[in-house]
Amino acid sequence: MKVLMFGWEFPPHIAGGLGTACYGITKGLAKNNVDVTFVMPNAFGDEDQSNIRILNASDIEIDPRFSEFYNQTQNISFIEVNSKLVPYVGLDDYFNVINQLKSGHFEETKSAGKRRYKFAGGYGGSLMEEVAHFAVIAAELAKNETFDVIHAHDWHTYRAGIAAKKVSGKPLAVHIHATEFDRSGEHNLNTVVYEIEREGMAAADAVFAVSDLTRNIVINKYGIDPAKVHTVHNALEPNTKETKRKKAVQEKIVTFLGRVTFQKGPEYFVEMARKILEYHPNVRFVLAGDGDLMTNTIERVAELGISDRFHFTGFLRGDDINKMFGMSDVYVMPSISEPFGISPLEAMQAHVPVVISKQSGVSEVLQYAIKVDFWDIDAMADAIHGILNYPALAKFFAEKGAEDVHNLKWEKVGKQILAHYNQLVT
Amino acid sequence: MQTICFHFQLSQLYRLRTYRFFDINEKHDYFDDFQNQYITTRLAERCYLPANQMLLELSEELGDKMKCSFSIAGSSLELFRKYRPEVIHSFQKLLNSNVVEIVGNTYAHSLASLYNKSTFLEQVDRQKRLLKEIFDIEPIAFCNTEEIYSDEIGEWLYEDGYKIVLTEGAKHILGWKNPGYLYCNPYQPDLQLMLRNFSLSEDIEYRFSSRSWDQFPLTAEKFMDFLKTTPQDVPMINIIIDYETIGEFHTAETGIFDFFKSLFRMLANSTDFRLVSPSDVLAMNMKPATLHVPWPISSSSDEKDVSEWIGNELQEEAFKQLFKLEEYYAASKNEEAKKAWLHLQGADHFNYMATRWFPNQSVKKNFEVYSSPYQAFINFMNVVNDIELQLKK
Repeated sequence: MKVLMFGWEFPPHIAGGLGTACYGITKGLAKNNVDVTFVMPNAFGDEDQSNIRILNASDIEIDPRFSEFYNQTQNISFIEVNSKLVPYVGLDDYFNVINQLKSGHFEETKSAGKRRYKFAGGYGGSLMEEVAHFAVIAAELAKNETFDVIHAHDWHTYRAGIAAKKVSGKPLAVHIHATEFDRSGEHNLNTVVYEIEREGMAAADAVFAVSDLTRNIVINKYGIDPAKVHTVHNALEPNTKETKRKKAVQEKIVTFLGRVTFQKGPEYFVEMARKILEYHPNVRFVLAGDGDLMTNTIERVAELGISDRFHFTGFLRGDDINKMFGMSDVYVMPSISEPFGISPLEAMQAHVPVVISKQSGVSEVLQYAIKVDFWDIDAMADAIHGILNYPALAKFFAEKGAEDVHNLKWEKVGKQILAHYNQLVT
Repeated sequence: MQTICFHFQLSQLYRLRTYRFFDINEKHDYFDDFQNQYITTRLAERCYLPANQMLLELSEELGDKMKCSFSIAGSSLELFRKYRPEVIHSFQKLLNSNVVEIVGNTYAHSLASLYNKSTFLEQVDRQKRLLKEIFDIEPIAFCNTEEIYSDEIGEWLYEDGYKIVLTEGAKHILGWKNPGYLYCNPYQPDLQLMLRNFSLSEDIEYRFSSRSWDQFPLTAEKFMDFLKTTPQDVPMINIIIDYETIGEFHTAETGIFDFFKSLFRMLANSTDFRLVSPSDVLAMNMKPATLHVPWPISSSSDEKDVSEWIGNELQEEAFKQLFKLEEYYAASKNEEAKKAWLHLQGADHFNYMATRWFPNQSVKKNFEVYSSPYQAFINFMNVVNDIELQLKK
């Protein structure tokens, strides 16, 4: 089984859980002997060196510059569509290609030999443009590569997936890690993004949703045929090193770790903190992350007069996350809408008890976690108070939680996805 | 002739309301009055009242050939008094008809027998006083919470005046022995033991309306055949079930009422069987065999031990934190808090904290109140914390 996979980010250069999930999925597929060619807008070359070998291709004339990274089983190759030599291709050119795709008659454009586009990657201002160009590259690749299935992760890559499908006629699977409803909420939808998402799901032969929660959104809000929407829960990489418990302060520490955006519900974390501090002043709250609600959050904390118990760390990555878990007594994820949410799993792996919102996909796979409604600040406060004050509960979660997470393996996810691939090709 | 004892158990829990940590030392209304009233009423209407009526009619029809026994926890009696006093009246009527014996048990369906003698006897004696007050009886038979029993518990009960105890015919205790014989406590040989035939009991209690059971549907005739397959030299068969089996676990539409009606008629008119209550067994002066029960047994699922209530770390902790308040209970004058402490010992509170059946909970899931065992634990511990403060005042 050979898969042409489109993604937007890959560790270590990630902005959120998407890259982590893509890494896990490719690894899980590799373990199930699936050949994955992973295409991303801007590979840096330092993506997981321990598992992947880099092969440099010198052919930069027609195809995008080619560099293949093999993992130990040589099942994953990377195509880096990034080069400083790439000239800019305007939107007009892009629509030319699209029109040709629609007519079913694809011919190489006049400038095909030298056509290149410099992707910035990430989620900057020219995002929409990059999304469009990514589709052009995809069409190009689909002509030259051999593969059985196309697999596209999140909306940035759906147009690429559709283009590849049109050129090659191979089945397309789109993978939903988040929807516009999760990111922006019902009343703030970016309609352009929504339309790209809907278009991708409609064109796909299979839609993978990271949770039942997301599957329901796909079915109900995007009107997709339930028969082709499958729930594929995420998993977690086993932790290679033990997290050391190390605290510099006496007080208990309650941690929020994630983007400070509408979706993650930071304001509920603040209100909950106020509730606990009213009765137990000896608790500290850490908000680790950054985002567009940061200013509001800091202002609210100041307004409530709890700044002395509230700490903002900014965005954390790598070892800092581990250190943060090592200090934490409770991890809270009050997300308003969380398609999956890998970070509570990381906390549990580090033996930190977790309180998560029921409105999260991860709550579907966890038993040793307290689940509350994100808006139920009383219940959330009570759960956290319980963990901080009844040591038997904290101990119970610290022990059993890690077991719970241990059973969530990417290899199983890979197997599940492979089964769906097999259905697509037969 | 084999004796058949039908023993029905009633134990309603004083359900807790959602009690947050910020209520501690502020509010002392721990119980969910709405739920307690709703469930008491529902059970009264679906089970207790119609089933009592059925037994009353059977007693008129069959006279003294009809016999059965009950254990009714004090918590149930209190809830009846508060919300449905007619249930108490109907039990009084049944008692007057002489076909029913009410045996002793704990006041609050308590797990105290697993803690120590003094807390256990506090529960037992409180229940004794309540039975005297409501029914004017002084039972000599006893059936503990969830049929929990051990040699030690038997000794305590004997000292407290009880002569015969109903408990589980647990296989790991019996070995090759048959539950249909009369047994006694090894240290107090005058304390006799009637053991539950769990397979026949559970045929009715769990499987009666289960379509996946190969014996479905269970008719009175079929059950009579089951009874006849027990060896002829075995003197007794003891069926112990929750009273809610009739009308709640198996609703009236399943035919459970008709099943019991015709079963009791057949047994009363049979030449092979005789319906009895525990004191009838005592009066028969049979010679019992010794049965050693070094560790507590119970009627709990397949294990027949106490791990359903004290099986994980959370349950152990809650149990420890609750019962260590005994010393303050004795000294306190706060009757509300004292009563609450007794009710918190109810086995079902600990049931809610069980993690064994993940993700499906036990038979009692009909009345599940918490979304997880952890919420059950936290809520329970919040209440325990307040009761501690109130008892110490």
